[in-house]
Amino acid sequence: MKKTKVEKAAASSLAKRNLQKFLNNKLAVVGAVVLLLIVLLSVCAPLLTPYDPLYIDVSQKGLPMSQEHPLGTDRVGRDVLARILYGGRMTILIGVVSALGATLLGAVLGCVSGYYGGKIDKVLVYISELFQCFPQYLLILLLVGLVGQSTRNLLVIFIATGWTGMMRIVRTRVMSLKEEPFVESCRANGIRGLSIMFHHMLPNTLGPVIVNATLQVAGYILSEASLSFLGMGVPDDVVTWGNILNAAKRLDIIQTMPVLWIAPGLAIALVVLSINFFGDGLRDVLDPSSL
Amino acid sequence: MLKFIGKKILILIPKLLLISLIVFLGLQLLPGDAVTRTVSPEAYQYMTEEQLEALRDSLGLNDPILIQYFRWLGRFLTGDFGYSQASGSNIAQMLAGRLPYTIELAGWAVVIADLIGILFGFVAAVRKNKPIDHILTSGSVLGISVPEFFFGLVFILIFSLKLNWLPTGGRMAAGETGFFSRVRYMILPAFTLSIALLATLTRYTRGCMLDVLNKDYIKTARSKGLGDFVVNVKHGLRNALPPVLVLLCFRLPILVSGTVIVETVFNYPAMGSMILDAISAADMTVVMVTTMVVACVTLIASNLVDILTAALDPRVRLD
Repeated sequence: MKKTKVEKAAASSLAKRNLQKFLNNKLAVVGAVVLLLIVLLSVCAPLLTPYDPLYIDVSQKGLPMSQEHPLGTDRVGRDVLARILYGGRMTILIGVVSALGATLLGAVLGCVSGYYGGKIDKVLVYISELFQCFPQYLLILLLVGLVGQSTRNLLVIFIATGWTGMMRIVRTRVMSLKEEPFVESCRANGIRGLSIMFHHMLPNTLGPVIVNATLQVAGYILSEASLSFLGMGVPDDVVTWGNILNAAKRLDIIQTMPVLWIAPGLAIALVVLSINFFGDGLRDVLDPSSL
Repeated sequence: MLKFIGKKILILIPKLLLISLIVFLGLQLLPGDAVTRTVSPEAYQYMTEEQLEALRDSLGLNDPILIQYFRWLGRFLTGDFGYSQASGSNIAQMLAGRLPYTIELAGWAVVIADLIGILFGFVAAVRKNKPIDHILTSGSVLGISVPEFFFGLVFILIFSLKLNWLPTGGRMAAGETGFFSRVRYMILPAFTLSIALLATLTRYTRGCMLDVLNKDYIKTARSKGLGDFVVNVKHGLRNALPPVLVLLCFRLPILVSGTVIVETVFNYPAMGSMILDAISAADMTVVMVTTMVVACVTLIASNLVDILTAALDPRVRLD
């Protein structure tokens, strides 16, 4: 009973110290707050705007900023503010889901690769190297061309092409953990390889994994935006920031309707910037050994 | 050194082969008869069934798939990339008209990013924790956080539409072919493309440079009474550069990815628009072959950078 209290105290002081460390990084705190705010804004979109982001009203097209439409309307009369608020949902969701998927896949493969070594390791490392020599967008575009355009396909493609970095991180960590006494004692106690890998070693790699997964969310948001801007990302009837920017491929829109593309562009920049700052702060706390 | 280069090339070859094998198998899975991809459509139209069968035999389409692969590879190496499914044009000719311009664009972007990025990183490290360091460091975070096409759009709005200094897009004015008339069209796209790489290089050079500046030999150099500039550049930067170059060769594929987007923003007709058009037209032969060529060129280019790193850093040669 006493011991658990001491443990609790030790744990809470570590958590406190970590929190303090994080709070000391002003940019990271700002990043976290802005991020939270943006997520809240897009989750509460229906409360903040009466308009449907997909409702086309040609009689209202190309309106400037006004009381009714704070950011104006686009070429077919959809309210820009509503599109940005609702677009945030899908944009952030795609980023988070892809990053989670890629992290999971990369972590499992990295564990297997690092723990078993030998042929499995060689093959997996070789495959990941092969992935990395393809320019990523080209590979994604190629796959989009093969399987067709849809949100689900995009997620699958993002995950299938994005696990290599995480695999390398986890693999390196697992390889060094393998020599640690606690792993040896696990093995001496007859615990199965799978259990050692996922119960005992994987939790010890979580620091860098969480940091990199966070930064990967930013990367995927940028990728989705770029692809949708090219018209190769999510289908037209799904609102994302990248899809709104797609309209800015025409010169007359760049000139005459700057709000239409500057607003979602700034939204993307703001989210990615906050995630990057937040991730840097997390790194200081969770993964202090890295650069 | 020669041994090192030889080793690098030996590692490169199986990778290139594997990429080509994947693309070949992908092409096999596509619908349509392989004859349509090896004969120009005009010729195909006027062929009878027996002629086609004879052609299939003579082309070896009834042979085992591995033999077909090596034959395809042989043709590929001699510059015969097959024909587009949609337009029937010769893919090799399509590429010849596009690839050099993408390489030119990416090349200029690398030059700009290298020069400015290393300079910025150097200045930030030497003036650590001074205002200029803070400006450059936060600027570099901005550089990797803002999508490149957004920078491109802003540049078009400011420099082309408002100030009217530079063209909004295209590759050259009609009737002009000289280098200097092309440069005007190159400035905005190349600069836009370089931003992300520039920001990364700034961050990384700063980190490497700070590492080096803490080394004992820097203190020795300073205590010898050498000037700041000599110590920072000759002793510091010279030793900070190799890891920066290694980063560059990892980043090259990402830069090439960026060309697709920048080419679209600036309406610059090169490889990127060719791939996008091909995807829209469901012309997978073109997409796959082009992707493979770009991947191979990128792979070779990053290996060249790797060899260059070894030339700069004598320590690398040992392994």
